Amino acid sequence: MAKWGMVIDLAKCTGCQACSTACQMENNRLPGENYQDVLYYTEFKQPTPSLKWFPRPCMQCENPSCMHVCPTKATFKTEDGVVLIDWNKCIGCKYCMIACPYGVRFYTDEKPLIEPNIKDVFKGTGELSWNPPYKGPQQDNAHGVGIQPHGVVSKCTFCYHKISKAPKGTPDLSNENAAVREYVPACVRTCAPTARYFGDLDNPNSEVSRLISNRRGTRLLEHTGNKPQVYYLGDHGVVPGFERPDDKS
Amino acid sequence: MSSTIQAVHCPECISRVSNLRLGVGAVGLILGLIAIAGLLSGGHETFNTNSNLSWGLPVSTYVFFVLTSTGLTFVASLAMVFGMKDFYPIAKRCVWGAVVTLIIGFISLGLEIGNPLRMIWVIPTNFAISSPMWWMGLFYTIYMVLLIWKFILINKGDWDSDQSKLIGLASFVAVIFAHATLGSVFGMMAMRPFWYGPMVPVYFLITAFLSGLAFIMFFINLDYGVDQKNMSEGAARAMSKQLPTIFGVALGLVIVFTLAKTITGLWTNVPENKIVTQYIVSSALFQYELWIGMVLPFLMMLTKMRHDAKMQVVAGGLVVSALFIGRYEYVVGGQLIPMFKGAWFDDLTPYVPSMTEIGVVVLAVSIGILLYAYGDKKLNLSDAPNQ
Repeated sequence: MAKWGMVIDLAKCTGCQACSTACQMENNRLPGENYQDVLYYTEFKQPTPSLKWFPRPCMQCENPSCMHVCPTKATFKTEDGVVLIDWNKCIGCKYCMIACPYGVRFYTDEKPLIEPNIKDVFKGTGELSWNPPYKGPQQDNAHGVGIQPHGVVSKCTFCYHKISKAPKGTPDLSNENAAVREYVPACVRTCAPTARYFGDLDNPNSEVSRLISNRRGTRLLEHTGNKPQVYYLGDHGVVPGFERPDDKS
Repeated sequence: MSSTIQAVHCPECISRVSNLRLGVGAVGLILGLIAIAGLLSGGHETFNTNSNLSWGLPVSTYVFFVLTSTGLTFVASLAMVFGMKDFYPIAKRCVWGAVVTLIIGFISLGLEIGNPLRMIWVIPTNFAISSPMWWMGLFYTIYMVLLIWKFILINKGDWDSDQSKLIGLASFVAVIFAHATLGSVFGMMAMRPFWYGPMVPVYFLITAFLSGLAFIMFFINLDYGVDQKNMSEGAARAMSKQLPTIFGVALGLVIVFTLAKTITGLWTNVPENKIVTQYIVSSALFQYELWIGMVLPFLMMLTKMRHDAKMQVVAGGLVVSALFIGRYEYVVGGQLIPMFKGAWFDDLTPYVPSMTEIGVVVLAVSIGILLYAYGDKKLNLSDAPNQ
């Protein structure tokens, strides 16, 4: 069984947000609630500030704190290493959102981040929180795929509706291999500078394994012990700590 | 030990206060229902919580009231578990108060959760033993069952049978575990340094005890028309002598804890703790909580004022308000720093409770007031065993 993981080469990433847009379209995300986001940071201060950016999907941790704290086992880990939510079991207590060090979980029943409220435009029917005119993946509540129902938490699934259909033993899901292209996660598929790689971390011959090994891939917030399955390459893989703006601190 | 009706010197005072409570509870219930009408139509979108700050006022209210329930059980246990007979005259009120405050907490939490009804079958069937919240649910459920069982027994006059003693002891043990697991829900979150720490369950233990004592000082005096002459002799003795002393000691400990936590927070090199502590300390709410809500009542308890019913009501009320603010600061404070949002959120997460959230609290508290008034009218809360 594969252990799916992602590598993001920060030296190649241009911060174009094509990955975020593709993810939104693929997974019917609400505006502003991006499973996949590119975060921007300013390093250094005036007169030499430097803008940095940082692509951030769910880290699909090996040892996910969100899963451990879930009081209903709604958050679970698949055999192929993906952290998913069973929406049929989620009670919406939001403890997982509290426990995720990467802030990559979303609750749908909250004020819209961007006006107008798209949920008022495309009102949900039944349990679904909204009803977009285009629906991407087939609804699969047991794996947290599709339109988010009311009162539950959702997160990036590594496009589980795609990768779970990949042929067994595939070392890499890459655009360059036409045979598996349709199984490639949306953010990887659409990355123009090919800064993203997706494959089997347990397979020493996969490209992700080689990249991590040869270029010293790093993981985010290692001290939390969550052991992300998303690795970063490049010399600015360190995110500065939180600081309040000068006028407020 | 058989039960006797204690000689309450002014039953009509209790009746008057109960009627007043029924009125206040009914008005509050209507206001609360109006305020949460939005919840029925607009769901949790009417809350001001969001994906960065997921737990707001209803959760801090839950924490406040379930810990108050813990404290009231502790005080009742002084008589019913540890044999301190002077506390028997207020024990039944404490047990009923513990039931009521627990219900207030559960209502507040139930209206905050996305799928509260699903909780009934999903939590017991999935045995998520790695989750502190699962254990918290388990122990609070056991505690609630035992507490109600104990109340039924003492309401029948069975204060001291082997069964009654055992249930009292079991409910005391259950609430120790319940409050400790609630502390772990917050204290085990290493990714949120403002909450993280092994002392959180201990902090909850002491503040819970204080919370229960403050409720007694405030509400039991009100029950008897703010005059200890209206109480039975036993109740008046407990309220004028032992309780204010214990209340003062617990308050002193909580002040030390609060100062230690604040000073450590201001001097730490962990930014998530330091920035939040600085933010909280600079707020008027914190200054009120510390100086008016804790230091002032502590000074009052050092003087002879501690024996006076009116002063006890003032001190108890101030401490209740301070602890409520403290719970709110604690729950919200742990989420003020946005998790990994970069320049999308370049400052602390803003949060002010919405009218619906305030309505949830008003509704839950009003139901509690009505239940307590019902107890006063129908359940003979001044009862105590014949010693």
